[in-house]
Amino acid sequence: MKPVATEAEVVITHEDVDRAHDRVRVSAARARRGFSSKARLLWLLVGPGVLVMLGENDGPSMVAYAATGAKFGVGFFLPFVVLTFCMAIVVQEMTVRLGAATHRGHAELIFDRFGPFWGWFSMIDLGIGNFLTLITEFIAIRAGLGFFGVRPWIAILIALVILYGALMSHRYWTWERITLAATIFNLIFIPVALMTHPSWHSVGHAFVTWQPLPGFNKDVLLFVLADIGATVTPWMLFFQQSATVDKGMTIKDIRFGRIDTVLGAALATAAAIATILATAPLFAHQMTADNFQAAEFAQALQPIIGRFGASLFALGMVEAGIVAAITISTSSAYAFGEVTHKPHSLNLPMGEGKSFYAVLTLCAAAAAAIVLIPGLPLVYVVLIVNVVAVLAMPPALVFLFMLVNDKEIMGDLISPWWANILATAVVFILTSAGILFGVSIIAPNIFAALGGK
Amino acid sequence: MVKKETAHVSTADQTLVLSSLEHDQLVGAKKHHIPRRHFETPELIVLWALRLYLLFMMAVVGYQVWMAR
Repeated sequence: MKPVATEAEVVITHEDVDRAHDRVRVSAARARRGFSSKARLLWLLVGPGVLVMLGENDGPSMVAYAATGAKFGVGFFLPFVVLTFCMAIVVQEMTVRLGAATHRGHAELIFDRFGPFWGWFSMIDLGIGNFLTLITEFIAIRAGLGFFGVRPWIAILIALVILYGALMSHRYWTWERITLAATIFNLIFIPVALMTHPSWHSVGHAFVTWQPLPGFNKDVLLFVLADIGATVTPWMLFFQQSATVDKGMTIKDIRFGRIDTVLGAALATAAAIATILATAPLFAHQMTADNFQAAEFAQALQPIIGRFGASLFALGMVEAGIVAAITISTSSAYAFGEVTHKPHSLNLPMGEGKSFYAVLTLCAAAAAAIVLIPGLPLVYVVLIVNVVAVLAMPPALVFLFMLVNDKEIMGDLISPWWANILATAVVFILTSAGILFGVSIIAPNIFAALGGK
Repeated sequence: MVKKETAHVSTADQTLVLSSLEHDQLVGAKKHHIPRRHFETPELIVLWALRLYLLFMMAVVGYQVWMAR
């Protein structure tokens, strides 16, 4: 790899020392042989991939999966969700390589390499998307805890305390482990799905045949977009690359970064499919769930899976919101620091990282405050946030695509031809889905002419 | 050359950092900007097309939200 910095004078900081301590453990594990050493190495290097994938199984994503199950039952959308996570793996793997090869965050690379004009476009997309998504995370938290009778302001306060508590160690490693522990609760949707006693024959049939098909109309397209937006969004690119850098991963760690990403995708897929299966009985009972929010799904499921199962579902929504609030606000803070060249690391003591922690906290607090304003039509935000994510993805992917094929910064780690074909296919699918969605809104009669509703 | 500095970082830690991190990983090294590259015409066309696509689609989303009220 061509060096991206000259051997000029540099100052060693606390951030460097913390990162060096983490790297010593990685080097020690790598130096030993045997299965247990490899397992320890995986344990040390796993993190950004799992966090980003399970972080994206957030409030609006889980609502999208729940609504998919309630609207269409078991069928086309089960394998479709697997496909969307495969797209996410293709895209996120590139951020691992970029971060490990350049040791720079995504926003920083875009600004440095392409200039501030395109950099600011990219940042505006990220900022708007992140803030809208953060609002929906707090909506999910409020709704989920509302199922247990917790008042909205207390629910929001609990979420902010957890978010801030994870930061208190001022160590990337500790923050990562606390957040990883929280993500495990995303799998709570699996026991909920099992409680509904799904027909495994139908599930197997759906995976093999992609049937029953849902038809082709405006509603189906909206769900297709929402489910894609539930797995691939711009903040994921920025977060995983920045986290890879903050963790101190190098070229030697790329293989484990890939395993981390695939592991995260596998866990997130399991949770997503479980959520669809959990709400599929609502489809079987022909219940209309078009305008359901997080807690309403839990209430609707209560007669089928009991109070305990419904409580687990509501708790799952709360977890989804909290983890995503942590990761998305961190993604905003990383990007802000990278663009302004202010210190930006979870290894920073509070005094040295004032702007980083201030942006992180302010983003979360502002989104939380908006959720508490009475009478705001928040339902529209939940409906459009995944769609906006899909629409903003193609420009973000083209920047990623250009960076990861930039031989001057990537050296021999540029994407192979087959990865470029896959990435191009992802851009094509996302853009086509967006255009179809636009057509369905502007000229719905075209869909009717094609046989849809 | 790496300047071993700051009153808060011990000599042992400085040695640890220099032996564990790659030069480009040091916070101080990141103050150097990566050289700018310039776009070729096809790249600019794609970027502008996607920018216009995004603006147009955002207007469509706004219209949909407006109609749904």
